[in-house]
Amino acid sequence: MRRSAAILVIAALVSASCSPAPQQSPAAPAADPPLEEGRQLSALAPANLAKPRPKPPFDLTGNWFVDVSENPEAWRFGPPYPRLTPAAQVHWDAARKYAAEGKVYRDDIGQCWPAGLPLIMTRFWPMAMIQLPTAIYMISGFMNSLRIIYLDGRKHTDPDLIVRTFNGESIGHWEGDTLVVDTIGFRGDHHWMDQGGVAIPAGEQLHIVERIRMVGDQLEIEYTMTDPEYWEGEWKSTKRFNRVIDEDIQEVSCLPDLNEHLQSTRSKTQVLQ
Amino acid sequence: MAKGLFGAALIVACGVTALAHHSPAAFDRTKEVKLVGTVKEFRWQNPHTWIELLVPDEKGKEVLWGVELTSPTYLIRAGWKSNTIKPGDKVTITVNPVRSGEPSGIFRSLQLPDGRVLTERPARLGTPDSK
Repeated sequence: MRRSAAILVIAALVSASCSPAPQQSPAAPAADPPLEEGRQLSALAPANLAKPRPKPPFDLTGNWFVDVSENPEAWRFGPPYPRLTPAAQVHWDAARKYAAEGKVYRDDIGQCWPAGLPLIMTRFWPMAMIQLPTAIYMISGFMNSLRIIYLDGRKHTDPDLIVRTFNGESIGHWEGDTLVVDTIGFRGDHHWMDQGGVAIPAGEQLHIVERIRMVGDQLEIEYTMTDPEYWEGEWKSTKRFNRVIDEDIQEVSCLPDLNEHLQSTRSKTQVLQ
Repeated sequence: MAKGLFGAALIVACGVTALAHHSPAAFDRTKEVKLVGTVKEFRWQNPHTWIELLVPDEKGKEVLWGVELTSPTYLIRAGWKSNTIKPGDKVTITVNPVRSGEPSGIFRSLQLPDGRVLTERPARLGTPDSK
């Protein structure tokens, strides 16, 4: 009995070692495990990436920098500014008053809060954009701020579940030669629409629609922004971006020792509240 | 000794506005202050490089000045290296000071002991002199 058992074990091992390896095709998309009910395939899930989709009219993968060649202030989204509500006018007036006194009102970006949308798009740092069939990943050279525009047909997250952020939740779809991006879900505190003497808050009701297209070699984004808490009607602004081919983004963080050594951010010029 | 030089060229601050992580409104762009002192620290880092400079005041007491510079990317384009200056170096630095009168300013130019002068390169404005 003992001998026959040993023969069986050896035979099994030999059989296993001589069996051909399972054939794997590197081109075949990996099978994703089944989704739980109510879950969304990740934008990076192979099965999502492999879904058949129309070819997009352009690929904006690259590094981009706002075009301020004709107007050095073109990084701002105004003037013109919309008619402000009383809730925003308080901040606008305070910023003007303190500016006249040589002070800086509520410069939250300077205190290491994220710039957030829309300002993050026009910092004087390159914005790396990587376009996939399911999403566009944007990483700003400014504080490496991450923005994702989903292109895979998903809907906005349930308002009761959404985690509010400074760049919001962006969902895009193609309309002819234009990518239309709808963004909501913003943080409504420490979030501003401008900087440097102009204080207009961005609230939780902020809604931004971007119409993105290529115009020659430039990327054009037409912004339509509403926030009934802080301004009336639609705030419109159009930005152009140039490709940057000689510069990559770097690791950039607002580290605890940054402002410790930038005395202006801690000086008496700062009005933090 | 810190010495104020008034009426210097007005500098367009727009590039710094967006390049810096903070508003530049704290600085008085109409004033330049020349600082002659000893480097205490030179930190080559994003998003801002900074210099701490010990500058004797009128009574000979050393005052620590904080000098804010742009990112290394733009300093490199202006000829800087991470070892351009080091602690102990005697240098002359011109700044636009903060409006509050505190010992802090945003960088304008650096004169090295050998006489070389370094400035910053403005951020990419899309103009011929800034590329």
